[in-house]
Amino acid sequence: MNRRLSRHERSLTQIRYNKDGDLLFSCSKDHVINVWFSHNGERLGTYDGHNGTVWTIDVDSQSRFLVSGSADNEMRLWEVSTGKCLFVWEFPTAVKRVAFNEEDDQIVCITEQRMGYQGAIRVFDVNRDDGRNQDTEPTSIFHPIGSKPTVCAFSYMPGMILTGHESGKVALFDAKTGEEVLNNERAHMDIVTDLQLSEDRSYFITSSKDKTARIHDAKTLTVLKTFSTETPLNSAALARGAPYVLLGGGQEAMSVTTTSLRQGKFETRFWHKIFEEEVGRVKGHFGPLNTIAVHPAGMGYASGGEDGFVRVHHFDESYFKAKPYGDIEILD
Amino acid sequence: EDAAEESNVSAELVALRKRLVDEWNAWRTRCMEEVSNVIRVKGKKVETSRQDEEREEIE
Repeated sequence: MNRRLSRHERSLTQIRYNKDGDLLFSCSKDHVINVWFSHNGERLGTYDGHNGTVWTIDVDSQSRFLVSGSADNEMRLWEVSTGKCLFVWEFPTAVKRVAFNEEDDQIVCITEQRMGYQGAIRVFDVNRDDGRNQDTEPTSIFHPIGSKPTVCAFSYMPGMILTGHESGKVALFDAKTGEEVLNNERAHMDIVTDLQLSEDRSYFITSSKDKTARIHDAKTLTVLKTFSTETPLNSAALARGAPYVLLGGGQEAMSVTTTSLRQGKFETRFWHKIFEEEVGRVKGHFGPLNTIAVHPAGMGYASGGEDGFVRVHHFDESYFKAKPYGDIEILD
Repeated sequence: EDAAEESNVSAELVALRKRLVDEWNAWRTRCMEEVSNVIRVKGKKVETSRQDEEREEIE
């Protein structure tokens, strides 16, 4: 595995590959969004404009539009190829999570509950013909009762939104009516920190501060697999073309020796998706891992850390050849 | 005896793993069918709305 280092001034909050996997987008507490060539880690450009931590980003399937959400209470739409900001939506509170739907014609976003404002989930229609001409009003807005939502994504079922919550709840909402169609109150025992979909959106993985990651059926919200670690998790990703999940997290140690600091001992952990057993670890970061993304063709992955580094990893042949449980076919 | 026990354990483990893989693959196959049904319905809707537009133009 070879690795390349790229740097933000402050800790990473989210990283995302585009659909082709040639570009990697990263956002950070340093207010900046960067785009990198995933094959060599070279920086291609930046998206400047936010005046606060950029908490979240997503890129559409055509690599035309990038959407971002920030602590400056703005959601912005960017032109990927030029770095130009096309549109700004303003809210009363910070934007914590954004995601495109499969058709690229809608965005779902979560805004924070704060200072007398309820937490909200909004869905916006995206005008793809003229990126600069967007509707400032959402097509729907709703305020989940009870625990605050922390993460969200569009399901494969039309008009359905999957959410993870502060209480550990996982739920399914009707995007139009805001009705909570289904929930699993005990999906996790603590904050849900990440939610990533399978390629066909029919299942998803969540990570939590409760030290576990779980795979759920997107239709029934049934927990299918559980990966139990001994550290709070910030991110979980599904490998492609190989039966693994990638987990990242960690606690900032109170007394870290210089030796372990030099080693960058915070690891990405690989677990077998079906057997729920750990199969390997990759060292790299000098602090907790905040975000992991898998290359859409499964050729590698990237991790973003509290230490401000983005690390891009390319799997070598041995990764694809390794069959620790023998020659068994597992559907992705 | 020890060796026999060990191979029994591993045979059990192999059987368990096989069951887990079979269950997963069966569920994935059902999922894929359902997803392709959803896609087909979505496709039909797009087609119908296009036909409606064409009809309106004719009128």
